[in-house]
Amino acid sequence: MEERPNALLLKFPGTNCDFETARALEASGFSTTILPIAAFKKESLNSVKLVVLSSGFSYGDYVMAGRLAQLETQRKVGDALTRFRDNGGYMLGICNGFQILTKLGLLPEGSLIDNTSGRFICKWVHLKKNNDQNAFLNGLPETFELPIAHAEGRFVAPDGAAESYVENGLAALLYHDDVNGSSSQIAGLSDQSGRVLGLMPHPERFLWDSHHYDPNWQGDNSGWGAGYMIFKSIYNTIIKE
Amino acid sequence: MEEKLPNQEDKKSFYEIPIRDLDPDGLLDLSEKMKLSLSVDDMIEIQLYYASAMRREPTDVELECIAQTWSEHCKHRIFGARIEHSSPQGNEVIDSLFKTFIKGVTERIMEKKPGFVLGCFVDNAGFVKLDDDQAICLKLETHNHPSAIEPYAGANTGLGGVIRDILGAGKGAKPIASCDIFCFGPPDTDAQSIDANDVIHPLGIMRGVVRGVRDYGNRMGIPTITGAIQFDPSFIYNPLVFCGTAGIIPISDIDKEMSPNLRVIAVGGRTGRDGLKGATFSSMALDTDSHEEDQQAVQIGNPIEEKKAADFVIEARKENLIEFITDCGAGGFSSAAGEMLSEVGGNLYLERAPLKEPGMTSWEIFLSESQERMVLAVKEEFLPRLKELADIYETELTEIGDSDDSGILKVWHNGELVCELDNSRLHDAPIRQLKSSFERGEIQKYEWSQTDLGDDLLNVLGDFAIGSREPIIREYDHEVQGNTVLKPLAGKSGDAPQDSSVVRIDGSDRLMSIGLSLLPEWGKTDPLAMGKATVDECFRSLIASGANPEKIALLDNFCVGNPDDSRELGMLVETCKGIAEAAEAYSAPFVSGKDSFYNYFETDQGPVSIPTTCLISGMGVIENPSHVTGASIRNSNSVVLILGTTDSKMGGSVYARIKEKTQEEVPHANFESALNDYKKFHKAVSEGLILSAHDVSEGGLGVAIAEMAFSEVGGVTIDLEELPTQGEMSNAECLFAETPSRLLIECEPESLGQLEKIFEGSDCSVIGKVTTKHQNLSINVGSKNVLEVGISTLKEKWKNVLTPYY
Repeated sequence: MEERPNALLLKFPGTNCDFETARALEASGFSTTILPIAAFKKESLNSVKLVVLSSGFSYGDYVMAGRLAQLETQRKVGDALTRFRDNGGYMLGICNGFQILTKLGLLPEGSLIDNTSGRFICKWVHLKKNNDQNAFLNGLPETFELPIAHAEGRFVAPDGAAESYVENGLAALLYHDDVNGSSSQIAGLSDQSGRVLGLMPHPERFLWDSHHYDPNWQGDNSGWGAGYMIFKSIYNTIIKE
Repeated sequence: MEEKLPNQEDKKSFYEIPIRDLDPDGLLDLSEKMKLSLSVDDMIEIQLYYASAMRREPTDVELECIAQTWSEHCKHRIFGARIEHSSPQGNEVIDSLFKTFIKGVTERIMEKKPGFVLGCFVDNAGFVKLDDDQAICLKLETHNHPSAIEPYAGANTGLGGVIRDILGAGKGAKPIASCDIFCFGPPDTDAQSIDANDVIHPLGIMRGVVRGVRDYGNRMGIPTITGAIQFDPSFIYNPLVFCGTAGIIPISDIDKEMSPNLRVIAVGGRTGRDGLKGATFSSMALDTDSHEEDQQAVQIGNPIEEKKAADFVIEARKENLIEFITDCGAGGFSSAAGEMLSEVGGNLYLERAPLKEPGMTSWEIFLSESQERMVLAVKEEFLPRLKELADIYETELTEIGDSDDSGILKVWHNGELVCELDNSRLHDAPIRQLKSSFERGEIQKYEWSQTDLGDDLLNVLGDFAIGSREPIIREYDHEVQGNTVLKPLAGKSGDAPQDSSVVRIDGSDRLMSIGLSLLPEWGKTDPLAMGKATVDECFRSLIASGANPEKIALLDNFCVGNPDDSRELGMLVETCKGIAEAAEAYSAPFVSGKDSFYNYFETDQGPVSIPTTCLISGMGVIENPSHVTGASIRNSNSVVLILGTTDSKMGGSVYARIKEKTQEEVPHANFESALNDYKKFHKAVSEGLILSAHDVSEGGLGVAIAEMAFSEVGGVTIDLEELPTQGEMSNAECLFAETPSRLLIECEPESLGQLEKIFEGSDCSVIGKVTTKHQNLSINVGSKNVLEVGISTLKEKWKNVLTPYY
């Protein structure tokens, strides 16, 4: 029988990409539970292999994006996520999830602030991999496209840090062009363990070819998109362990 | 009288208002003092009701409640009025525009097409069948007056409100996409030219409105997938803001019914003094005082509150815990409770409602339009699970009442009965008697002589009516939920405009297309033609995206200036005739609609009305993912065809407006040939013969072909000699006339044979080809070149129209 590792998607009030992210997780082989943070219990992480923080506007993000979610997570979950990672668990944060993981200190030092344009940007971007070994990216080609949709996606870090993240491969994913002012065009960042990845682009929105802005309309559009490959990569990594 | 009205210092939460002995002047005076927006006839009806049926004086709660219920905003009394209409066709009496031109049409179509429309005009939104299990629904609302005085909050809550309409449709539909349509003054309006104090400049309106929609839609996680903007100086004082949301629901959850012994619960936000009398405020003209006095009528939005309530509602519906649900919109609890308890009867306890602030009077709680509130009727046995869900989704749930079998709505506040209404009587507002007239303006045929067509095309592409909406579209998350397959900007370059937008539906092989049309410029000369053309354009844009012509349903949204002016009302009557004729011809039923009147502003120089505006939106079912068709050129060796004939009438066109020749006749759609063409086109789509297709609309053929080429796949050469026309036409007429019912089609050269067979008998010609030999739009007449401009030049002009302003 096919093995279906458990993925847990933590949902905050205002989280809004949970449905399609769960759909992507299911499609790539995970058994997925969406759990509102109010229903979180200590045992919620038992037998979970992957924790996902999907995108949205947790608590409205009226103060810095992810800040309230960070405080609520610390209050309700404590250090359970850190222990989860140290015990071999994987974590993926997409867009707002990336912002929350950063605020929680589960990713290298840095912050996601207002785009240089001062605007929300919804568009497709070209990305390039900067770490072939990353467990979430190892099944992807060197370059690919994904959509972004954020107002606070500009990654900034203390002097020299962004450059060092690119150098040592922690900045696992880079924008091909300057889309939001991110230092060193960082689009995605992993932690030292390689078990946690945060990224601003939305892999769950490029599950099939038909998600692309210029697909072959009359042809077969049911092939997998680049976003699927991110979920499949981490699935394959987990299955092999 | 005055000293009896409640005020802040007084502790009493409601008052009896003596009306029995008032004469008509006294009644009108009371209506004005209390801002009830009720006419003398209405007040006399109320006086009679209390004197004869109730045998007592009304309370302020009751009067406020009746005023909201009978307001134009809630009751659509003009659409129900008896209208004596005179036009060049003679005099006639119309017994309700709604019954005659909307409901009547729909009923006849429903008989012809049983099983397609699953609900219309009764619930919060109209439903049509998607497949055997699921239905789609759509609703559009206006939020004009709030957006005029507080653009951000007005538009914010405009979208928030229509999303709640969908959440309250059936037993709770899931919102899956939104659209927004705006009419603004031109962004470059000279501030000195605005003839009234406190009017917000069109730029301020546009920026505030767009951000309001952005912040609500994005935070709700509902993609804003399509829209439109019209710019015209007549919208400076009274901008129009339409917000729409589409939903999906299992067919088995559409029907909902009230019964005795249910618990009535409120879910979501708290009740406050924001949004008092919004419905009556929306039913009056604007003036400078509105900007100072009516701020209270504008609600304050909190999308996360609504998101939590939405998550709760969808889960509760999935678990079958809901008997009845509706949203708190205009009129607040009074309209929600009225809708729920109007047949069975029941009790509402105001002191139980969680409040934002202390000291609110009875009518304030009952009538408040505070946002993010849903009202549900549920079985008592499900309350524990519902409370559990409310805890999980962190939304507030309160029991506020119950249903019985009395047929009477009783509202209690701290043990006192503050309002007792026999709902069967309450909704009987007197039918209005109105007069309308329509006269055609002077018609003139201009010479559209030789001019520089290249410059002309650049000017049209650079006009506010045509320029790219990209700066605004990119601020909306149009891809959240991961189902937007035909995006508002697409094509190889990722930034070319599309006709309709298409979303896939989870759990179905079918997709939903959403399209729309509004042409206020046409209505200025010929509202009948405008009505016809808006239906045609909306229908056509849905067909172009791949929708099945048999499975299209429409919505009508009207915005009118002063309905008491017989000429303005006459324009509305003519518009209604136009949409009815078109919808009937296409067998496309109206399933929902809304109207907004009193869209005029009392300036220092007199009233300024908006032009009569009719927004037709529609939802179409796409049978198969392979039917989805974009509007951007895809292959560099393809050919370009046009379906439909071009007429020399230039009235209503963007080109005529730019050239200041606006008296020309407006073209009328020919539905019979058009419908045939659309059916053939759909057959071609089903057979996989169409690479891309674009409706020819505002800006005419020149703009349509340029827009198709903006995917930057190759250059395009067009020969106007091949264009099917009605008689001799100048090149400018060929390129810029906005004749309805035309589609531009791109196909592979190998498909031409099959397409010629399908389109046999139609006006359909190959007019051009895509090439890699050049990167221009090259327009010839036979061997003579009449226009040659680089596509990148055209595109740059088109892309930078709004960027300096937004």
